[in-house]
Amino acid sequence: MVALVIALALFFDFTNGFHDTANAMATPIATGAIKPKTAVTLAAILNLVGAFLSTEVAKTVSGGIIREGSDAVPITPDIIFAGLMGAILWNMITWLKGLPSSSSHALFGGLIGAAIAGIGFSSVNVETLLQKVILPAIFAPVIAGIVAYLCTKLAYALTARHDPETGDKLTQKRGGFRTGQIFTSSLVALAHGTNDAQKTMGIITLVLIAAGTQAPGSGPQVWVIGACAAAIALGTYAGGWRIIRTMGSGLTEVKPAQGFAAEASTASAILASSHLGFALSTTHVASGSVIGSGMGRKGTTVRWNMVGKIALGWLFTLPAAGIVGALTALLVKTGVVGVVIAAVAGTAAVLFMFVYSSKSAVGHHNAVEVEEAGQAVRFGKKKALARARAQANPEKDNQR
Amino acid sequence: MKWLELLSVAGATLVAAVTVVVLYALGVRLTAIAGDAQQPSPKLKRSLAYSCFGLCGVAVLFGLYLIIPYFSKP
Repeated sequence: MVALVIALALFFDFTNGFHDTANAMATPIATGAIKPKTAVTLAAILNLVGAFLSTEVAKTVSGGIIREGSDAVPITPDIIFAGLMGAILWNMITWLKGLPSSSSHALFGGLIGAAIAGIGFSSVNVETLLQKVILPAIFAPVIAGIVAYLCTKLAYALTARHDPETGDKLTQKRGGFRTGQIFTSSLVALAHGTNDAQKTMGIITLVLIAAGTQAPGSGPQVWVIGACAAAIALGTYAGGWRIIRTMGSGLTEVKPAQGFAAEASTASAILASSHLGFALSTTHVASGSVIGSGMGRKGTTVRWNMVGKIALGWLFTLPAAGIVGALTALLVKTGVVGVVIAAVAGTAAVLFMFVYSSKSAVGHHNAVEVEEAGQAVRFGKKKALARARAQANPEKDNQR
Repeated sequence: MKWLELLSVAGATLVAAVTVVVLYALGVRLTAIAGDAQQPSPKLKRSLAYSCFGLCGVAVLFGLYLIIPYFSKP
C-alpha cells in the first residue's frame, strides 16, 4: 500500500509539472526570447534545482494540515491514497477540460475530503489550513498583482524616452527586456520547484510517517526529495511540448517589459512564501502577476469577466477534489476489494483521459491556465484599434 | 493568524521585485542612451548600463542566498 501511494504521489508530481510549465515559460516563448526546446529544458533543470533548495513547504504539508502523531487521530496510507486519487483525477479533468485550476488546491482538497470521509471532521487542522493554505491562496495573487502593477509602471516610466526639446517620443529601445525575460522566467521555474515539488515530498513523508517508518514531525528524507525533484522535472519537460504547439495566441501580445515585470513579481512572491512555508499555488500567483502587469501599461484593458471565470474555477477546485477524495476514501474503507476497485477505476480514468486528449486536436487544454490569464488582459494596439474603428464607421471619422 | 508573516511576504515580494525591475530598467535605459547617435560619452553610459545589469544579478543571487537554508546555517 505504501509503495502504491508513493507511486501515485510521484505521478501527481508529474502531472503537476506539465500542468505548470506554462506558468514559467509561456511568456518568454511567446515573445521569442527563448527557443521552445531550450526553454523547456531550462525549466526542467531549474525545477530540479529548486526542489532541492528549500523544504519548508514540505514540512507544512506533512506536519500541519492533517493531525498526526501521538496526540491525534491515526492517519493511514489508505486516506492518503484516497486523497491523491482525488487530486490526480481533478487535475486530469481540469487539464482535459481546459479549466484553469491549481494543482496544489486539488491536492489539499483531495486530502481534506478523504480525511473527513475516512476519519471525521476532527482530523483536519482547521487553523493551520486557514493560515497556511486558504489565506495565502487569497493574498498571494493579490500581492503579486499589485507588485507587478507597480513594477510595470516603473519599468515603463524608467525607459520612456522623449525628445527634450520637442517632447516627441523617441525610439524606446526596450529590446533589452527580452533578454531579461530569460533570467526572470528561469527564476519562476526555480520558484516553482521550491513550492510545488515540495507538496509531493510532504505527501510521501506523510505516508512514511503514517506507515511508521519515519518519526512524526521530521522533514523529508533525501531519496524522497530526489525522486520528487526528478518527477516534477520530467513532467515539466514532457508537458512543455504540447503547450508550446498551442501557445502563441493568448500571450503573444504581452510586451517584453511587461513580461519581465510580471515574472520578477511572480518569482519573488513564490520564493518569499516558500521560504516561510506557505503552500500557495504558482498558477494563482502567475495569473495575478499577468493581470497586474496588464493594468500597469497604458492602453491595456483587463477583461474582468474572464478574470471572474478564472476565480470561479479556483473556488471549485478545493471542494471538487475533496468530493472525489471523500468518495475514494469511502470505497477504500470497505477493504482490499475497495482499494483494488479504486486503483483500477482511477488508472482507467487517467488512461482514458490521456487517450482522449491525444485524439482531440492539439491541446487547447494544456496552455489554458496561463493563456486565459493572458487573454483576460487585452492589449489594445492603438493603431489597429483606430484602423478597425475607421473601417467600421468611416462616415463618422470623415465628419470629424 | 499569522498576519505578520503574510505582511513580510508582501514586503519581501515588493522589495525584491522592485529592486530587480528598477535596476534592469535603468540598464535598458542606459543602453538605449549609449546607442544614440549624438552622444558625448557612449562608453561611460554603456559601462554604467552593464554595472546596472550586474547589480541586478547580484541582487537576485543575494535573494537566493537568503532563502537557501544551506547558507543560513552557522
